[in-house]
Amino acid sequence: MILVWLRGILARFPARLAGAAAGIALTVALCGALRAQIAASGASMTRQAIANVGVDWQVQLNPAAGEREVRAAIARATRVDTLQPVWYADVTGFESAANGTVQTTGTGKVVGLPPSYFTAFPDEIHVSIGAQRGVLLFGQTASNLHATIGSTVVIERIGLPPARVRVDGIVAMPNADTFFQAVGLPPGTAPQAPPDNLVLLPAAQWHALFDRQRIVRPDSVREQLHVRIAHDALPADPLAAYDDVSGKAKNVEARIAGSGAIGDNLAARLLGAQADALYARVLFLFLGVPGALLAALLTFTVAASGAARRADERALLRVRGASTRQIVALGAVEAIVVAIAGTLAGTLLTIALVPNALVAHRTLLAVTACGGVLLALAAVLIPAWRDAHANTVAQSRAAIGRAGAPFWERAFIDVIVLAIAGVAFWSTASTGYQVVLAPEGVPQATVHYEAFLAPVLLWFGAALLAMRVWRLVLLRGRGLLAGLLRGISGALAALVAASLARQHRLVTRATLLAGLAFAFGVSTAVFNSTYAAQSRVDAELTNGADVTVTGTTDAPPARKLAELRALSGVAAAAPMQHRYAFVGNDLQDLYGVDPRTIGDATPMSNAFFGGGDAAAALAALTRTPDGVLVSEETVQTYQLHPGDTVILRLQHAGSHAYVPVKFRFIGVTREFPTAPHDSFLVANASYVSAQTGNGAAEVVLIRAQRPDAIGSIALEARRVARDLPGAHVTTIVETQRKIGSSLTAVDLRALTALELVFAIVFVAAATGLMLALGLAERLRMFAVLTALGAKSRQLLAFLAAEAVVVVVAGAAFGIALGFAIAQVLVKVLTGVFDPPPEALVIPWPYIGGLVAAAAASTVLAVAVTARASRASVIGALREL
Amino acid sequence: MSSKAEPLAVARGVSRTYRAGGETIVAVRDAECTIDAGARIALVGASGSGKSTLLQMLGGIETPSAGEIVWPALGPRDSLRPRHVAFVFQNQNLLAPLTAAENVALPLVLQGASNAQARAAAARALAAFELAELRDKLPEELSGGQAQRIAFARAVAARPELIFADEPTGQLDSATADRFLATALALLDATGIALVVATHDERVAARMAVRWTMEHGELRTAP
Repeated sequence: MILVWLRGILARFPARLAGAAAGIALTVALCGALRAQIAASGASMTRQAIANVGVDWQVQLNPAAGEREVRAAIARATRVDTLQPVWYADVTGFESAANGTVQTTGTGKVVGLPPSYFTAFPDEIHVSIGAQRGVLLFGQTASNLHATIGSTVVIERIGLPPARVRVDGIVAMPNADTFFQAVGLPPGTAPQAPPDNLVLLPAAQWHALFDRQRIVRPDSVREQLHVRIAHDALPADPLAAYDDVSGKAKNVEARIAGSGAIGDNLAARLLGAQADALYARVLFLFLGVPGALLAALLTFTVAASGAARRADERALLRVRGASTRQIVALGAVEAIVVAIAGTLAGTLLTIALVPNALVAHRTLLAVTACGGVLLALAAVLIPAWRDAHANTVAQSRAAIGRAGAPFWERAFIDVIVLAIAGVAFWSTASTGYQVVLAPEGVPQATVHYEAFLAPVLLWFGAALLAMRVWRLVLLRGRGLLAGLLRGISGALAALVAASLARQHRLVTRATLLAGLAFAFGVSTAVFNSTYAAQSRVDAELTNGADVTVTGTTDAPPARKLAELRALSGVAAAAPMQHRYAFVGNDLQDLYGVDPRTIGDATPMSNAFFGGGDAAAALAALTRTPDGVLVSEETVQTYQLHPGDTVILRLQHAGSHAYVPVKFRFIGVTREFPTAPHDSFLVANASYVSAQTGNGAAEVVLIRAQRPDAIGSIALEARRVARDLPGAHVTTIVETQRKIGSSLTAVDLRALTALELVFAIVFVAAATGLMLALGLAERLRMFAVLTALGAKSRQLLAFLAAEAVVVVVAGAAFGIALGFAIAQVLVKVLTGVFDPPPEALVIPWPYIGGLVAAAAASTVLAVAVTARASRASVIGALREL
Repeated sequence: MSSKAEPLAVARGVSRTYRAGGETIVAVRDAECTIDAGARIALVGASGSGKSTLLQMLGGIETPSAGEIVWPALGPRDSLRPRHVAFVFQNQNLLAPLTAAENVALPLVLQGASNAQARAAAARALAAFELAELRDKLPEELSGGQAQRIAFARAVAARPELIFADEPTGQLDSATADRFLATALALLDATGIALVVATHDERVAARMAVRWTMEHGELRTAP
């Protein structure tokens, strides 16, 4: 009997079975692809974290520690790629004579490096000019001392006579922060700034100069072992990798207890990646889970569209003496067919979408397949089981009657849910939209899951509210609806409206699905567009302009301003000073600009300035020659009020000393092209030049006429600036690429492509498939209408009217909800953006594509159903 | 209205065959008949004898496999329904989403009548069959007998020239059936509508002026 039943349902209802299976396939594929995306994103972040760390561990040895024992402990704890000793010595200062003047610095450090250090850790020291070996001077120190290749620098040792060395090269140290970190301090201790005054010596020379200082003043000399551990066995997930690395470090510390401490740079970077990985996970869940739920809802709805037919069959089986178990078994046949077909299709789709799914994500495939089976059973079998246990045939075939409003509508659950969503959103706002919490010094980042509440409740509440409105319109607004449908249905408009009203549950369900599909597509597309636009804003802020020429004070690129302006494709070029100024004891970056023209070369966003008005801020700077814009942190620290005098110390060109210069505080700046995230200053270039005796502009910002001209401008700019020592040219394209692959960027490209395709499929399925399945149920009605004399165009009127109601109402609701969800997501996930967007970016072409997909699938569904109706109505008529 | 000289429908050598389950079924074989204006015809025969198929061909729903059917007084086949011909099916077939009144008004709306005209005609038809109080009921709220009478009211409301009814009293008890028939025939007499009834019920057949017999697809119109 089971086989007979199976043959029957496959022959009679292939479309419904295929529709339910397709819903399950979409659910399984989307869940599988989403989970794989999250795992891939985490693995990518782990790889980036590892790649960006120069020295994994800095093991600081206590003075009495045995180096050999410490090396052995490290080797026992983990496999090591390389291990290099590094020696640090404190000095009281440096001195150098240049152009008849003598420059001196404050305290500094002298570092001894073995020859193999440069090949073992190539990213720690970058040679700017000169030799790669020998006595190397840190760039800032060279600037302070006015020293260059061949200069003699006097090192003021502690407790020993000064030593003289001859400079062979000038270097930069990109990772100076970690290179000079204070190892072994308690967690939560404020990080120390790296020294500005620094000399690097070959190990032999360092020992010759400082071994005696170690005796005289042991506290002024330290040794560290710089270690890179083997990375190939690290887990892919950042959290797991962090646990692995920090566990090994703790193991070493336990073994060498008392002999040293470890500065675990790799674990610290992985901790940062952990927060970003959590953000990625949150982002993918926020954007992806609604799609998975929508696919599941579609499955349930497709399965439920045959409920009446199944109920009739079960009632007839009961009349003919079938037991409950037999009825449930027959229901299970359909559920199993749908489960197998849907899960198989979904798994194959996941394999097609996810690279290496069969190799790297076997567990994932198994889990999502099980989920698909459970979904199929829930959608088909549970209703069958429930109905089979109804006590009487009459209950099985219970008349529908005129049911009242559902409970949730009478209890205003939709309004309550939306109100709670508003409260939840306000609550999230009050925390500063901190969704992922990674407090400094705390080894584990956590997710503020309460932040999920606002968008989740918005989805739910808006859907319920829409159902209330549609039900009201269908039931109470028949006259209005008939008037609106007259253009499609002609004289049948009133009857069509009546029919829609009587079928309000079915119509509302189909409209809701279409609306949710639109909302999913629109919210995902708007969020992704806004995110992509902000990554460009981030690149603009980082690079400063489309093309940026950066040089030194001694060889400023502004010297070539006229030539740069004359390059083909250049729309505007503006010079900008980049100096340093002491605010109290705090050294900050100072940018000197012409406020009247800086906006020609680079966008000045309102978000850059405290008042939210870029034009006003720049106008104030223009009006106030000695004006300065400072960061909010500086305002708080020094309790500044507009108009207050601020004394900054700037380096004077003549004396090379830092001299006090009066400025007037006129406003707050939050962001500025090329400026760092933390404190910086913006002032008038003319005033800075007059006060420092130095009119050089170290940066030239260039705006291109067209995006495709950026590459050629950069090429020509490099040619123009080639005779400027230390000058380099960067473009926004290169910067965007670097940012997009950086540790802190969540790669949404793959997720975006996946979700946008799914959204189009959902919209087409929700409109077309639902209409086709729903209308197929009413084939008998069309047969009666044909027998009564309805012409083809009149049948089409019924079909088209329902289709238009579903698509138009669904699209209107869905697009509006999509915008609202996107706005809430952008606010709640502010931490993902750098900087946060001022407004949403609307991808109108994609939204147009969604509408077109819905329209096309609807037209197709109506045409196919009309044609099928005509072909089948004769057969149906025979059964009248 | 039709010309009294011309018949409403004429069938010549009409046959209908179709395939089902791999077999060729001959539902109607070489049927010949004429329906005049105002006729009262009872079509009797066992279940499966081809009565419904013959009615559907005569009403223009089905096309014959052989032979021809013409409607001299009514026009071409595609203009028969709903203006000239109406059907009352064995299973009533009221449209579930529409009320009784809306169901009755439907043929008039399909003809292009205004909503007001259709509603008025529906009200008259329901009143004629003493069904006015059921006007706002949905089909699922009606008994079988009520639904059957409303289906007949739907057929009558548009004032066609010819009505085909398949077992119109099948779900009525004797007393109700008698009352219903009396009302229906009186209304049809007053309006000159012809009626062809497929029935097992001898009381219904006895009220018709002409008796046709259908047996294994073959039609006998002679007494």
